[in-house]
Amino acid sequence: MKFSYSWLCEHLETDKNATEIGDALTNIGLELENLSDYSSYLNFVVATIKDFKKHPNADRLNICKVDDGTNTYQVICGANNVKKGLKGIFAKEGMYIPGTQIHLKKGKIRGETSEGMLLSERELNLSDDHEGIIELSENFKNGTSAVEALKLDDPIFEIGITPNRGDCLSIRGVARDLSAKGIGKLKPLKYEKIKKLEFESPISWSIKNDDNSCEYVVSRYFKDVNNTKSPEWLQKKLISLGLRPINALVDITNFITVDLGRPLHVFDADKVGKKLDMRLANSNEKILALDNKDYTLDGSSTVIADSNNALAIAGIIGGDHSGCTENTKNVFLEVAIFNPNSVAKTGRSLGINSDARYRFERGLDKNMVLEGLEYASYLINKICGGSVSKNTDAGKLDTNEHKIKYDFNYFNKVIGLDLEPQIQVKILKDLEFQINERSDNECDVLVPSWRNDVKNNIDIVEEIIRIYGYDNINVSVPISSRDEIKKIENSLVNKKFKIISKLKKTLVSNGISEVITFSFHSNRAQEILTGDTSLKISNAISDDQSFMRNSMIFNHLESAELNFKKGIKNIQLFEIGPIYNSSQSQENILSLLISSQDDTNSIYKSVNFNFYSLTELASKLISSLNFDIKHFNISRSTSNIYHPGQSAEVHMGKKLIARYGKVHPLIMEEFPKLKNTYAIELFFENLPIESISRINSINISDSQFQFSEKDFSFIFEKEQNLYEVQRYVTGIDKNLIKNVEFFDLYESKDLGDSSKSVTFRVTIQSKEKTLEEKDLEQLHKNILEKVSNKFKAKIRT
Amino acid sequence: MDIKKVLNEATKEIEQSSNQLDLQNVKVAYLGKKGKITELLKSLKDLSLDEKKSTGAELNQLRGEVDNLIKSKFNQIKVEEINSKLRSESLDFSFPPPNSISPKVHPISKTFDEVITIFGSMGYSVAEGPDIETDYFNFSALNIPENHPAREMQDTFYIDDKDKDGKPFVLRTHTSPVQIRTLLNEKPPIKIIAPGRTYRCDSDSTHSPMFHQVEGLFINENANMGDLKGTLIEFCKQFFNVQDLKVRFRPSYFPFTEPSAEMDIAYEIVNNKIKLGQGDRWLEILGCGMVNPIVLENCNVDTKNFQGFAFGMGLDRITMLKYGLTDIRSFFSGNLNWIANNGFSIGDF
Repeated sequence: MKFSYSWLCEHLETDKNATEIGDALTNIGLELENLSDYSSYLNFVVATIKDFKKHPNADRLNICKVDDGTNTYQVICGANNVKKGLKGIFAKEGMYIPGTQIHLKKGKIRGETSEGMLLSERELNLSDDHEGIIELSENFKNGTSAVEALKLDDPIFEIGITPNRGDCLSIRGVARDLSAKGIGKLKPLKYEKIKKLEFESPISWSIKNDDNSCEYVVSRYFKDVNNTKSPEWLQKKLISLGLRPINALVDITNFITVDLGRPLHVFDADKVGKKLDMRLANSNEKILALDNKDYTLDGSSTVIADSNNALAIAGIIGGDHSGCTENTKNVFLEVAIFNPNSVAKTGRSLGINSDARYRFERGLDKNMVLEGLEYASYLINKICGGSVSKNTDAGKLDTNEHKIKYDFNYFNKVIGLDLEPQIQVKILKDLEFQINERSDNECDVLVPSWRNDVKNNIDIVEEIIRIYGYDNINVSVPISSRDEIKKIENSLVNKKFKIISKLKKTLVSNGISEVITFSFHSNRAQEILTGDTSLKISNAISDDQSFMRNSMIFNHLESAELNFKKGIKNIQLFEIGPIYNSSQSQENILSLLISSQDDTNSIYKSVNFNFYSLTELASKLISSLNFDIKHFNISRSTSNIYHPGQSAEVHMGKKLIARYGKVHPLIMEEFPKLKNTYAIELFFENLPIESISRINSINISDSQFQFSEKDFSFIFEKEQNLYEVQRYVTGIDKNLIKNVEFFDLYESKDLGDSSKSVTFRVTIQSKEKTLEEKDLEQLHKNILEKVSNKFKAKIRT
Repeated sequence: MDIKKVLNEATKEIEQSSNQLDLQNVKVAYLGKKGKITELLKSLKDLSLDEKKSTGAELNQLRGEVDNLIKSKFNQIKVEEINSKLRSESLDFSFPPPNSISPKVHPISKTFDEVITIFGSMGYSVAEGPDIETDYFNFSALNIPENHPAREMQDTFYIDDKDKDGKPFVLRTHTSPVQIRTLLNEKPPIKIIAPGRTYRCDSDSTHSPMFHQVEGLFINENANMGDLKGTLIEFCKQFFNVQDLKVRFRPSYFPFTEPSAEMDIAYEIVNNKIKLGQGDRWLEILGCGMVNPIVLENCNVDTKNFQGFAFGMGLDRITMLKYGLTDIRSFFSGNLNWIANNGFSIGDF
C-alpha cells in the first residue's frame, strides 16, 4: 500500500521523521518496501522561457532563452508546449537526469549550443508523462527548488500488508498501529455529521440471497447534487498515490477506500430502479463492469440488482450503466458488509482484482459501516451540495466484540521471555484491546472491531511481541541431544542422502557433470514415452513443460543438444532427482547420459564409447554402493527408452535396480544432431539401504600362493546369458576359481545365425598351497565338461 | 715384451669402438681366454721368480687399466645409445589439449549437503515428502483454507489427476506439507529438516517454476521463539561463514505459524559486490515462526503439552547469495559450461 507522509500525519500526531516511521513500520510487521527520497532533486530549479525562436536546422526544435534566476542559458528544446513566459523545471549541464539515467553534457544540437534542459515529468521519474515539458501553474520565483515547486518534500511510503492485516489497508489503520508502537497519537476523524436528513430514500433494499454473502447494507440518497471535478486537495491526494481523479463522487469513494479502508459505491440514482436487491446471480447473467469488460456470472456470485438488471458485482466492482458521471444529479450511496469468502471466490473466478475486493476478502471493520456512511455523506454534501436522505438499510449488523480468555504465562512459554502482566496489558491497551476481569494469571480480552484476525491466545501473544519487538527476544543457542544424534544415525532418509552424495562423487570422478533439470517434460516426450496422461499439468507455462516427467531422458537430451550447440563434443552428464509414475508414485533415481560426437582431433582421439563401456560404468556405479552387478539378474531391457538390441535391465528379485543402453533411435530422431548416445538409469531407492552403508570391512584375505590362468572357448546359443555362465563357472569350485573374465566374443556366418563363440579366462588359485599340474588339469577338464553339458555348448579349439 | 705398446694399442682400439659389439670384441681380443693380455699373463710361468714378480705386477696393472678403460667406454656408449633412443622418441609437448569440461557437482548439491550437515549438528534428521501433493496437505492442513487470500500469495500448479477428496493434485508450493506428514506419522519430540523441490507458476530471472526449499520443524515440550532465533542465527553464521553476523527478525504472516517472522541479514556493497554480514541494507533470507496450534491440532498433537517452531528457506536463493550468482534460470539449464564454472569438484564437495 502507498501513502504520503503528510496524509499519514492527518491521522497521526507525530514528531518522527519519515525514516524513523519507516523503521517502525517494518518493526511492527508492516514491511517498508520503498520510501521515495527526492533530496537529490534540490538542484533542479524553476526557470522561465524568456524568449524562443525556431532552430535554423530542425523544424521541431526551438532555441530558448531560459532564466533560472541567476543566469540566462541557451537551451535547445523539442517539446511542443514551448512558449514565452512558461515556467518549468530546469537542469544545468552536468546534472544527472533520473528518468533517462544520463548526465547532461554541454553540446551542440544540429549546430546550436545547448546549455541545459527543460524537463518533462518522465525525465524526473514523476510519471510516464512525456507529452511536453512541465508547466508550473503557480508563479514560483526563478531559482526555486523543484522539491518545493513540485511539492516533492512529501515522502511517499510503500508498505507490504500481509493477508491477515486487512485493518491496515487504510491510512487510518496504519496510523492506529503506529500509535500503538508509540510513534505518535491517533487524531480524531475530522468531519461533521449531516445535521438534517431531510427525506425518506426513494430507493430501498432487500437482501434475497440465503447464503449469508451479504450481512448488512445501508444507503443514503443524495438529491440535486453537482458532480463537478474534485477540489484540488482531493485530486492531489489521489494523484500522490498514482490514482487518476475522475469526478467528485467517484473520487470521494476512492478516497474513503484508502483513507478509512472502507469500500463504498455510488449509483446514479436515476439509472437504477426503486427496489434494489442483494441476490445471487442467475446463471449466465451478464454485466458490463466499470472496467469496461463484460462478465458472465454464475449462480454462486452475489450481485446488486434492480428488477431489470444486475447493477454491480457485490464487493468487487460496479456496473458501467449505473455509474456516476459529471451529469449525475441524484446519487444512491451503498455501504455493505459482504462475506470475505464469497467475494474471494467470485473475484477469483472472474479474475477481477479491485481495491474493494482486496479489502472485503481480508475482512472489514464493521463499526466503520456507519462511520464510512457519515464521512462520505459529509464529503458529498460539502463538495457536490444537494440534500441527503435518511438511512435505508437491510439485514442486521453483528458488531459483537470477540472475547478471549488470555493466559499471561502462555506468552512466556511461547516466546521464552518473562514479560510481566502489566507490560502485556499495556501493549494490549495501546492496541485498543479492552482488558476485563484481570487476575494474576489471566484476563478477558475484548478484541477491537477492526481486528478480525485475532481469535485466540496465540494471536494475542503475537500482538504483544509484535509491539514489544522481536529484537527483544532472547537468543538461546541450540544443542543436539544424544537421542537426536541416534535418530539421525538411524534415519533412512539421512542414509539415502549419504548414498546420493556417494554416487555424485563416483560420477564426478568418472568425468560426468551434475545437472539439475525441471521435473517436467514436453507433450512430445509424453507421447513418445507413453507416460500416465493424468500427470498433465493443468496450467502449464508452456508445451515444453506440460507433464510431470516419467523419465529424465528428454531433459538430458535437450541439455546435450544445448551443449553440443555450444561446441562441446563429448557430453557426459547426470542428474539425481525424481521421476513420476503416477500422481502418487514418485521415485528418486540417478539418470546419466553420455553422448560422444564425431571426434576430429586425430591426436587426442578418444576411445569409442560403446555399449560394453556402458556396462562397465553401470557395474562401477553399482559396486560403489557395495553391490556386485554379477549377483543380480540381468536381462534385455524392454523399456522404450532404449535400443532393444543394445540395452539391459538389472533386477534384484522383482525390483528394478538399473537399466542402461543406447538411446532408442526413435527418440534420437528428435535430436538429429546427437550421435552415439547412451544412458543409464539407476533406481537406487530399490536397493536395501542397510546393506549399502558399509560398516565392517569384508574379510577376504589375498592368497599367498601362485595362481594360474586358463582360457576356454565355447560356442553357445546366441541368446545365452553370459552372466549365468559366469555365475555357473565360478560355482564349479568356489575355493579354487577366483575369477572368470570374458574377453572375446565372435559371431559370424560360419557359426550360423543362432550361435556365438565366447572366450573367457579362468583364474585359479588356492589359499592353502601351490596347485600341482594334475590338480589343474582335473579342474580344466571339469570346467569343459560341465559347461558344455549345462549350456549345450560346443567346445571350440 | 712391450707393455706400453700393448696399452697404447688397446687404448686406441677401445677409443675407436662405436657400439657395444665392437667394444665386446676388443675386450675378447685383450682380456678373453686367448686375449693378448691373457696370453702375456700365461707366459709369466716361463720367467724367473724375480722377473715374475716385477713383470707380473706390471701385467696385472695393464690388465686393470684396460679393464677400466673398457668399462668406462661401455658406460659412455650406453649413455649415448639411451640419449639417441630418447631423441627418437621425442613428442611435441607444445600441442595444446582440446577444450574439455571439468566435471563438477551442481552448487545446489553443495548447499543440500551443507544444510543437512549444519542442521544435523543441531540434532535435525532429514525427512521427505512427495512433489505432487494433495490440496489438503499443501494448504488446508496448514491453515490455508480455500478462498484464503494467502493462497494467492503462491501461484499453484495443478495436475489433471484428482485426489480422494475430488480436488486436483497440486505441485507443492512449499516444503511445508512435510511438516504435516511428519506430525501425522511421528510422535513428538520431532526435529526434522526437509529439503526438496518446490513449484510455482512464475518465471523470470529471480523466479523459476521449479526451485528448492528446506523446511525445518522442531516440536517438543518447550521449544520457544528464542530457540528459533538462536537456531537460525547459528545456521546463517555457519552457512555464510560469517561469525559477526548482523540479523533482523521482523513480524510477518504465514497461516501455519504464529507469531510469524521473516529473517533478514545485513549486507553492504563493496566493490560492486554484495558483502554479507554488516551494513545498513537488508536481504530477506527466510520465513519462520512458532507452529500455529491450529496446525498441531489438525495433526492430533496435544497442544497443552507440545509446542515448537518451523522455518522455510529458499535453497536456490541462499546459494545465489553465498556465491554471488544472479540468474536462477541458469541453475536448471543443463549448461555444462555453467556447471564447470560454478559447480564444485569432488575435493570441495
